[in-house]
Amino acid sequence: MEIFIILISFFGAAIIFLFIKNRKLIEFLSVLVSAVVLFESINIVTKVVQNKVYSPNSLFLIDSLGAIVVLIISFTGIAATVYSIAYLREESSRQIIGFTRVKQYFILLNLFLAAMFLAVSSNNPVITWISVEATTLSTAFLISFYNKPSAMEAAWKYLIINSIGLLLGFFGTLLYLTSLRASGQMGFITWNNLLLNASHLNPIIAKISFIFVLIGYGTKVGLAPMHTWKPDAYSKAPAPIGALFSGALLSVAFLVIMKFKVITDSVVGPLFSQKLFIIFGVLSISVASFVLYSAKSYKRLLAYSSIEHAGIMMLGFGFGGLGIVAATLNIIYHSLVKSTLFFLSGNILLKYRSDKIVNIKGMINVLPITAILFLLNFLIITGIPPFGIFINEILILSEGIKLYPFLTVFVVLLLALLFVGFLKYVTAMVYGKKSPEIIVGEKNIWLLIPPLFLVAITLYLTFHLPQFLKTLLMAVELYY
Amino acid sequence: MTFVESLLILFFISTIFFHLAKKNIGVAYAYSFQSLLIVILLFNSFLETKSISLFFVAFLVFVIKVIITPIFIVKLIKKHQLKFLVSTYTSMPVTLVVVTILAIIANSSFLVPLTSIIPSNQQSLSLALSSLFISLFLIINRKGALSQIIGVLSLENSIVAFAFFAGLEQTLALQIGIIFDIFVWMIIATFFISMIYKHFGTLNVSEMQHLKD
Repeated sequence: MEIFIILISFFGAAIIFLFIKNRKLIEFLSVLVSAVVLFESINIVTKVVQNKVYSPNSLFLIDSLGAIVVLIISFTGIAATVYSIAYLREESSRQIIGFTRVKQYFILLNLFLAAMFLAVSSNNPVITWISVEATTLSTAFLISFYNKPSAMEAAWKYLIINSIGLLLGFFGTLLYLTSLRASGQMGFITWNNLLLNASHLNPIIAKISFIFVLIGYGTKVGLAPMHTWKPDAYSKAPAPIGALFSGALLSVAFLVIMKFKVITDSVVGPLFSQKLFIIFGVLSISVASFVLYSAKSYKRLLAYSSIEHAGIMMLGFGFGGLGIVAATLNIIYHSLVKSTLFFLSGNILLKYRSDKIVNIKGMINVLPITAILFLLNFLIITGIPPFGIFINEILILSEGIKLYPFLTVFVVLLLALLFVGFLKYVTAMVYGKKSPEIIVGEKNIWLLIPPLFLVAITLYLTFHLPQFLKTLLMAVELYY
Repeated sequence: MTFVESLLILFFISTIFFHLAKKNIGVAYAYSFQSLLIVILLFNSFLETKSISLFFVAFLVFVIKVIITPIFIVKLIKKHQLKFLVSTYTSMPVTLVVVTILAIIANSSFLVPLTSIIPSNQQSLSLALSSLFISLFLIINRKGALSQIIGVLSLENSIVAFAFFAGLEQTLALQIGIIFDIFVWMIIATFFISMIYKHFGTLNVSEMQHLKD
């Protein structure tokens, strides 16, 4: 029953679309829906911890990694919904958007969240593909939300690149289905069907299929060289949508890749997928490290950081062993911290009316709480001790040094390069002399509560991993 | 040569034609023709299997891809007078060389495992794979947003053609996937093309230069 309650986001979107003409009611309904979803997500995770998987019927299945992603979507989802209310009210007060746009926004936001939940919980690889494609559609309209030429350009690039990627992913998915022809199971296909019939798959076809799937869903993750849409889309979408892109959608696409990895590994062994993960991982970190230095917008800076972290996750799963646990933890920390950074970037944008780094000076005086949180989250995301991401990176690199010492040293250098680049920009924004026309003071307490909520969870998880999470992490390590 | 194989050859020729066409309207009609070939393939399979879902998909592809989408594109071309906007990043000789190389790659021994999923259909699968690569190149090589959409739709048609010769046309997964993708691209084409024209005064995507660091 819980799974249907999660899909309530779909109905939330439909009710807003069909019946509601009052802004406060739309906001209330959206928060209510995300609160119910959060409550039920916790319920589902409890069941996964108890029974290893949650599968109320053959249509839905959530495993340990899926449970973690469900939690990520619901926590970032409620934070984004609450933040969106305050953020859009500020935009409305400046007459940038009207009621119709606000209504469209919340419809699309709920659809986006619902599509992500369906992608994670579906037991059918094609329904999963459709759900991920549905996220493309809903988010394309959110990227073009401000209806400016640059936003339209970002949305178009996003659509074209992601559609090509996802079609290639679909092609890869179809190739996996060739294993089912022998058994004649061409009806409703489940992930388990594919795994059980993997022995019928030609090993070379399994490899080619996985490459297509990795390129396809890797585009959605934002792995280099398919990352080119990411800085554009992240910088043009409203801040809470950027938070969900980086915090939730990345994890969803990653989960799908991991599901196909298990099937491929059962045919050709784990070495093939691990090598691919390492190649894409190093490539993504390299691209982020160097392109970061040319960034002019702080939102694009966050996009490059997401590309880097996608690379780190790939490396963790590529190196295997403890790297898998560390990469999974990195998915959690990255979602929380990057969502927070996107919310804070929204605060900066509302205050300074510019997304250019060069125009942001003296944040510590203008937006003191935002500045301190931005600095803190910058330290966490770049892997400074004692925070969780530091420990994860150490664990991943310690696995890497055993297998690929030179490559690992190269990655360490890249991470140092990223830290220096990031530090240069962040210090320039936080310190320096503010422009006289900028009025000092935070805009609205509700623009601070969602990031504070996520920071509190991040710090809590840094110093204490709850037992249920340890259980899920152990299950992820065993299965993936 | 069987009936379905001859349809696939026509399909391949229509994919090549997308690269040769100088007018958008020609591309729209060629797409309609290419989609009609897919409908015939699916309908032929329905006659053999009597699968109702296959008939439903064939009907839907016919209505949307063969009729509605091309009509919509032609109306758009006429509305914005886009007759000569089919420009490419590479010259025609280079385009043809790349197309030839892609066809050779699709027929190479490296991809034999893929094209011999059903050994008796190896030639057809190679041809479908060539179409897939050539459609991908169309998206990359064309500056026009309309041509890019046609490229994506042609890529999708090529995947369906490949699935047909790989014996996967009866898979419910393929059928649901096609229907959903048609739905998505109808929305995209309806909304975004008009918005791009509104903002940029052209559908030439090389005019999109706002987003660079």
